[in-house]
Parts: sequence; structure tokens; C-alpha cells
Amino acid sequence: MILKYAIQRLLMIIPISLAISVVIFLIVHLLPGDPIDNLIRVGSSPEDKIALAAKYGLDRSLFEQYFLWIFQIMKGDFGQAIVLRRPVADLIAQNLPYSLRLGGFAFLFSSLVGIMLGIIAWASHNKWGEQIVKGVILLGSTVPGFWLALLMILLFAVTLGWFPVSGARDWTALVLPVLTIGFGGIALVARVTRVALLEVGKQDFITLLHAKGLSRSTILFRHLIPHALLPVVTILALRIGWILGGAVTVEFVFARPGLGSLLIRALGQRDYPVVQASLLMLALAVMIGTLIGDLAQAAMDPRIREATK
Amino acid sequence: MTALILKKLSTFAALRAFTTAIGMFAGGFLVLLLLVAFFAPWITPYDVATQNLANSNAAPSWLHIMGTDEFGRDVFSRVIYGARTSLSVSATAIGISMFVGMLLGASAGYFGGMFERAVMTVVDLTWSFPDILIALIFVAIIGPGLTSTTFAIAIAYLAQFTRLTRAQIVRLKSETFVEATINLGATPARVVLVHLLPNALAPVIVVGMLAVGDGIVLEATLGFFGLGAQPPIPSWGAMMSSGTAQLYLAPWVIIYPGVAVAVTVIAVNLFGDELVQALDIRDRVRS
Amino acid sequence: MRILRKLSLLSSTAILSAGLITMGLSSASMAGSATVAFSTGSLGTTSYDPIRSSKLNSATSLIYDRLVEQDADQSFHPHLATSWEESADGMSWTFKLRKGVKFHDGEEFNADTIASWIPDFKDTPNAYLVAAIKSVEVIDPLTFKFVMERPEPNLLYNLASIFMGIPGQKSYDSLGKKYGVTTAIGTGPFKLTKFEIGLTTVVTRNDDYAWGSDLSKNQGPAHLDSITFREIPDQSTAFLELKTGGVDLLMGVPTDFLTILNAEKNVGVINMAGTGISYMPINTTSAPFDDIKVRQATALAVNQKAILDSVYKGVGSQAKHFLIDTLPAGDVKPELLVSFDQAKSKALLKEAGWVMGDDGVRMKDGVPLKVKLFTTNDTNFKRLTQVVQAQLKDVGMDAVITVFDASTIRDEYKKSNHQLAVRSYDWNNADILEWFFSATRLGYPNVSMWTDKKSEELKDTAMTKSTTSAERIANFKAYHEHVLSQHLFVPLYQPAQHIAFNKDKITVPAMVRGPRFRSQTFVDIDVAK
Repeated sequence: MILKYAIQRLLMIIPISLAISVVIFLIVHLLPGDPIDNLIRVGSSPEDKIALAAKYGLDRSLFEQYFLWIFQIMKGDFGQAIVLRRPVADLIAQNLPYSLRLGGFAFLFSSLVGIMLGIIAWASHNKWGEQIVKGVILLGSTVPGFWLALLMILLFAVTLGWFPVSGARDWTALVLPVLTIGFGGIALVARVTRVALLEVGKQDFITLLHAKGLSRSTILFRHLIPHALLPVVTILALRIGWILGGAVTVEFVFARPGLGSLLIRALGQRDYPVVQASLLMLALAVMIGTLIGDLAQAAMDPRIREATK
Repeated sequence: MTALILKKLSTFAALRAFTTAIGMFAGGFLVLLLLVAFFAPWITPYDVATQNLANSNAAPSWLHIMGTDEFGRDVFSRVIYGARTSLSVSATAIGISMFVGMLLGASAGYFGGMFERAVMTVVDLTWSFPDILIALIFVAIIGPGLTSTTFAIAIAYLAQFTRLTRAQIVRLKSETFVEATINLGATPARVVLVHLLPNALAPVIVVGMLAVGDGIVLEATLGFFGLGAQPPIPSWGAMMSSGTAQLYLAPWVIIYPGVAVAVTVIAVNLFGDELVQALDIRDRVRS
Repeated sequence: MRILRKLSLLSSTAILSAGLITMGLSSASMAGSATVAFSTGSLGTTSYDPIRSSKLNSATSLIYDRLVEQDADQSFHPHLATSWEESADGMSWTFKLRKGVKFHDGEEFNADTIASWIPDFKDTPNAYLVAAIKSVEVIDPLTFKFVMERPEPNLLYNLASIFMGIPGQKSYDSLGKKYGVTTAIGTGPFKLTKFEIGLTTVVTRNDDYAWGSDLSKNQGPAHLDSITFREIPDQSTAFLELKTGGVDLLMGVPTDFLTILNAEKNVGVINMAGTGISYMPINTTSAPFDDIKVRQATALAVNQKAILDSVYKGVGSQAKHFLIDTLPAGDVKPELLVSFDQAKSKALLKEAGWVMGDDGVRMKDGVPLKVKLFTTNDTNFKRLTQVVQAQLKDVGMDAVITVFDASTIRDEYKKSNHQLAVRSYDWNNADILEWFFSATRLGYPNVSMWTDKKSEELKDTAMTKSTTSAERIANFKAYHEHVLSQHLFVPLYQPAQHIAFNKDKITVPAMVRGPRFRSQTFVDIDVAK
């Protein structure tokens, strides 16, 4: 059953990607301004501009340009950046590792701390523990990411001097950015963990283990938490777009290299090939994440599934 | 006396949300915020646009309880006016989003089949894509300003309302009273508009309230990127954006608007939760 | 269950190895190296190819040397060229070259290099720099002659330009379009070792360097082992990096932070004359600005002194015309200078038919004096724009501000959607007048949308018909004065350049021998003892 659904979804990715590519292409070319203005400089003549435009094929019809681009992509060639003047693939290869590192650690941080908080919320049988955790979660997930980032820079980087203000010179520069994105993710994970633990905890085999005399912590760590992992992965996979959006803001505020900064910079310079390729990659990442999330959701216990929606 | 008032209030289900401790504080704060935003011109001690460059970046004092910004304008007054901008933009955007989302979701849920599949796929894409990027691109095409911010926010939340409404409609569709109405000869439009939607309204409105909170954050983020309200109109996001350059010199320019956003959104979320409890629709609300 | 144990083992190993990998990738700060932050104006260099690039930064001046260098007083000094002579009719220039200069890849530098280099400019954005040169004649390995198409008094200025840093011809020809992306070969005091576009550039010392110009105290190899240049878009972030020790030198400090930095004991601040102007072009084709009286009134409504005192805390200077103060063509007739005169501004508006309304906004034939004021999303511009808005309001003009990003605003200019705009330029030569007011560049960069027969004539004379430097200055002065008389723009502010550095980490010469902070100063920078 799930297999059939999975294959259906996988096949759908191709037509959807094509549709998305058209939308991306149109949007990018609808933006006012063009990359040539970013290539000319003081002293060059107006004829230079026209010649440059022709050189990059920007004087052809949108149809032509789109098909040239999409066939190039299908052959695996991302093309040449206009303003940044090097293969788009090189630019992405240079920036992607930074974003992956940031996203990966944010994912890890959200999961670990979120699970921990979820356990605390579930385990504390009095109202207080639950409320405190809920409060922390609420705070972290509702404040604007950039504001949190700025405050953390002010406190931890400038006043205390523990971490760098910006850049990516070493691992210390990852801490504040990861915290900024991670805080929002914690809320999602904690909520999902708590529900998962509650549902599994109610089941008969848990009562049996209790009766057998196993300690609460053993039951928790060996039997309950593994059941919470799937929902955690699911919720984060489904909300991958949100994590990516957070990464873009964070890369901007912290002046970090990465796909987000590349996209914003290229967007500002209207470097069409770079913007199109980056948006396409983002869209693919979102689609794959959603697919994984959906499949995992389908495979899940229905009662827990509700919590991940 | 208060016990009597509370008892009267609790007869109107939604107002029951005000009766818990949290509900009272959060709801009370929201009401206060709305009043403050409405009466802004009468409350603010200073004019929001008058510059006093000699007194720029002044720390909080009795004269200016939240300090001044780089133009010497009173931060407190601008935060109050910012409430107007943020609340109105967000409310309008979510209102539009709700309206369109409900229509889309209702028709998708009612007619089903390929139509439903198509609508849901398109709508799902807008939901999973990072809303910052959607907004950035939208604003880049239409141009900066409050109009594009409103539309960008509306699009970002469209999916939520569409999905929610569709789920409600699907659930209600199978009820016998619907079958009966159709057998009596009601047109699809009548069935959807008169019988289905009103019953689906409650969770949508509550989710709408929560979305206004999120919308405020999105408006602040767009303002931070310089794409929202144009100077000298105060907006919480724009204040924080220009405040970034003053991070070290005048941190209060960033802190206070941010606190305003945080407190407002938290109040919205807390009250929204109480509302869900009061209306007893937890199972129908996917948050 | 074993799953959990495996999972925890796996995740801890992953975290540990990730941490080790990232630590290993961190650039250890070596003794003898410095980190420099570019000024926000020089961000976005896409390649270190001086011939094909439209945007370069100061690191370029470290990789390549030029034939001549310009000092802060506008005079020209020998560098790779030891002496030069212009013929009486200006139709040829003879240069003598330095002996023993080598490129980073070992290739020898001589007159043949020049002969191979000048033709490289053909069909590039920088071709105009050599447009007046007809051909290069090699006389002997250390002497060559430029045979000119027409006299070019601006030749030395162009040769000192960062775009005329000389690349190694062997590598330039063999790498073609790829040149400058990862490899850049020059004769400069530093070699390019790493270039992460939009992020960092790392250069390391050229130990064979022995041909510094006389503008540096040190004419041999630089003192520093390596320099890491970082591109930090946000000025506040850059300032914080200096404060927390992440960066050792800031090229370009906003005036806001100067007071703080001047007060810090371990921070040194160097002030240099500015090389640009902030100004407000007026769209002469958009009513009411097609009326010269309204344009003049707008110009007189702006209070440059108030801007200087309150926005920039008195740092920098007022701008009264279109050129920077150090250029002789800025020495125009006093009556053409733009100064604040609110009474005259109001009188002019009244004369033009704009009568003050009850709400403080002027009206004419039922139409309010409401205008569009555009600018880009930059802290300084936004600030300047809001101050100007308030000053215009004082004379009854209601200016509505819209903030755009750089690419969109250029589109708006081309469509002539704007009426007023706040922007700036960075250029220390009088030919900037041609760039911004020539009829061949309507829209952008001619934001004033100005076209006029007399302007075109004066422009052509200044650009191509001057035979000596003195003539060139006089011709540009005439062009400048005509532009001023038509009130095509309002001068706003003339920034100074400020460099801040960490005195505990590096020492920097107190006097900078050049209009900008470039290689001649960098070779004198040393690690603080």
C-alpha cells in the first residue's frame, strides 16, 4: 500500500519539478532590472550594454531562453553565472557545504533539545513542569528569528565575547546561527515527542514492562523514545521549508557563506542562472523533504500522526 | 458582582476563554493593544515623524521612556504607531487569505476528485516553500510597500486555510443532513455556502487569529529586509531593520519593537489556545 | 533496544567528527598575518581580472602593479615605469621601464608585455581606458612608445587606475575567460592564494618583490606574511568585528562609530579626503521639475550644513557642486555654488505658481506639490533621504519616499518613474560629469534625464578635444558650470574616508600616500610588537 503511494509520489516529482521550473523562470525574468547593469561600469558606452546582452542570450524571446535553460539543466549543466562569471555548479559547490553544515547542526540541535524538553513535559506530572516547558517553547518559536539573532550577537558576541560576530572562520561561528534556527525547531519537536510518548506510554506492553519491574528510565530510553524518533524526523522533514527559510535569514544577519547568501546576492544582481538554479534546488529539497515526511507519516501510528500535522 | 459577570460571559462559548487566568491576561492584553492602536494619535507623547537630530540615539529616560532613534524620534510613540501598522497589515492579509482559502478549500472538499487533487497540490507547494522567499520575490516584482507585504503574507498562509476548510467540508459532507438538503434540490453553491461553511467557521476563525500572530512576525521580517512600510511610517520590522545599524550604539531601538512583537504574538497564541479549549474544537484544529 | 544505543553512538560520533572537521578547516591566525574588512562600496568583486572586470577592490592593487601611481595630492609617481615623456603635440608618449621585474609565475616584465597587454582591452568594459592609444611601439626591452589617436591628458590617470594593473601575459592568454577566477598573476607585493567569491580573498607575500614605488617607505617585500580580506555587507557587523578582534583593519568606517573608535585606546583611526559625493539628481523631464525655477528651489531648500552636523556629526564636508574638493575642475564661479537659502527657495516656488496650502503643502491649479523620492536600501541613504524629506516639507514640498533594492531602482530610472532620488558616486576624476549627464546615457546613469545641445558640445570638447592637462581642466570646468546652472541635481554631502585598525595587532603608516588606501600603504603595514 505504502509502496504504491511512494511510487506515485516519486513519479509526480518530475511533472511538478517541470511546472516549478517554469514558475521560477517566469518570476525571475519578471523581476525589474537585469544583470547587464551590474556588468557595465563608469566609462563604458551604451553599445557595450547591447553587445553584452546579446552575448548572454538575453535579447532572445522568453520561450527560447526557457527551453535553452531547461534542456541545459536536464543534461546536468547548470550553466554559467552572468554577473559572477563562473560555472553555477562551482558556486553551488562552494556554498552548499556551509548551508548543509548549518542546517544539519540546526536539525541535530532541534531534535536533541526538543526531545529532551518533550520528555520533561511528559514526565513531569505536575502542571508546572509542563507549563515551563510550554512557555520556553512558545518564546522560542514565536519571536522573529532575526531579532533573536541580533540579541544573541549583542549579548554573546559583543558583550561577552564568547563567539564571533559574523562569518564562518571556525566552529565557534556556528554556535549562534544554529541556536537561532534551532530555537524554532525545538517547539515542533518537543510537542511531537510529548504526544508520541503519551500515546505509546498508554499501550498495554508498557504496562506489562512496568509489571515486570523494569525501572522507568529503562522503559523510557529503551522502549519509548525509539517510537518518538520517527515522528521527530517526520515533522522536521515536513517543515524543511521553514528550516531553509530560517537559514536564509540567519546567513544574512551573520554574514555567513551559504546557499541563502548566494541566492540573496544573486537576486540583488539579477544573475538569472544562479537564482534559477538555487531556487530549483531549494524547491527540490522541499519536495523531497515533504515526500519523506509524507511517507513516514503514512507509516506511522494514526494517533501519533495527528500530532505531526 | 464579578462572579455574576463571569457567569454571564460563560454563556457565550467563545467568551469563556476569558475566564481562565491565562485567558484573562492574554485576552486582556490583546484588547488593550487594540485600544492602544486605535487611540494612538491621542496617546502618543510625541509625533512619530518629527526629527530632532540633536537628540538622536538617546538612551531611555523619563523624557523618552524607550529612548530615541537615529533621527531623535521617540521610540515609544513609534512602537505604539507600529502596532497600528503591524496589526492592520496582518489582519487584512489574514482576512484575505481566510476568504480565498475558505472558498478554495470548500470547493475542493465538496467537488473532490481531480479538482481537489489539483488545488491541493498547488496550495501545498505554497505552504512548504519558505515564506520569506515567496514574500521576497513577490515584493521584488510588485515593489516595496504595505500593499505587497499584505499580499505576500496572504499567499504565505493561503494553504493553511484551504487545507483546514477542506478537511472540515470533507468531514461534514458525509453527514445525513447534507444528503437530505441535496435531495431536496439545493444547488452546490447553496449547500456549500449556507450549510457547510457556517459549521466549518469556528476552527477557521481561531486558526485565523493564530495566523495574525504569525503574520505580524512575517511583516516584521519583511520590514527587516527593507521591503515593508516605507519611511517614515513606523512598523515594528522597519524599526528593527534601521536599528541594526545602531546595534551597539542604541540597542533599545531594536529591543523594544522586538519585545512588542514577541509579547503580542505570545498573547495571541495563549489566547488562541484558551479559545480552542473554550469552544472545544481541539480535534478540529490542526495547528 | 539496540537501536537506541546504536543511534546514540552514531550521533555522538557524527557530532564529534563534524566538530573535528570544522576545527581542522578553521584558518589558524598566523603571526605576521592580518584580517581586513572591505568597505561596503567595494563588495562584490567577481574576479581578479582587471581587464574584464567592472568591479574591483583594494586587494587587486596588491596583486598587480601599475606603470604609475597617484599620490594624495593628485601628482603621479613612477612605479613600473621609471620615467615618461609626452611629445609636444600630445600624439605620442615614451615610457622607460624598471629593470628586473618579474611576474608571480616567473615570466619577465618588459616592453613586450605592454605591447601584448594593451590590445587585451579590446571589447571589454574597460576598453575606453586605452581608446586614445592607437598602437604600442617597442623601442627596446625597457622602452616603449604609445602612438596616440588623439592627445589624451588623462592618460596618466588611467594608467594609475586599478583597472590598469598589469597581468602576466602568458597566463592571461592561456587561461582566457577563466583568468582571474582562481588564478591571478601579477607583479605585485602579494600573490592571490584563495578567492571565495563574495566572502574572502587571501593573499600571501611575494618574497621576490623588490620594486615598490617611492610612495612606500618599504620598497622590498612586504612585512606581513599574508592578508585575509573579508566581505562584510553590514557596516555595524564590520564595526563589531573590529571591536571583538575578529578583524584587524576596517576599510571604511561609518561616521556613527567614529566617536566610539576615536575614544578607544587600542584603535587607531586614519582620516583621508573623500573620493565621492552624495547627491540628489532631479528628473528634468518630470513635472514639476521641468521648470527650472522649481529645480532651483529644490536645490536651495536643502541645508547641507544641517545634514553635515546632525546626520554625520560634523565629519566630512558639505558638498556644493558635483565634484570632490580635490579636483581643480570643481573650482567654479562662486555664484554657481549651491547653498541653503530657504527664503529664496520659497520665493522661487511662489514665482513658479506654487502657493502654500493650508496643510503645509503647496498647490498649483488644484494640484498639490507631491513628489516621488526614491533611494536604495542602505542605512546612510535612508537616513539622508528622510532628512531631505523633512527639509523639503519645510518649503511646502511633500516628498513621498520609496526604498528599492539596487537592481529594481535602476529599472525605475530607465522607465523615468522617479522624480527625485538620493544616491552617491565614488570617483576622483572630472569625467564623472560625462557619466552622469551625457545624453547617451539617459535613464541610468543619467538619472537627471538631461539632454541639451550645449551640454553635449561642452562634454565632447572636454572628453576628446583637450590637448593638455590645463586645457582639460578648463574644459571640464566649463561643462561643470553649465551643468550647475541648469540645476540638474542637489549636492548633499561629501564624505571623508576613514580607516580604523587595531593598534595592538598591527601598525599602519600615519600618512597615506594616495587618494585611496592601496598597495603603497599595505606594504608598510607590520605586525605590532
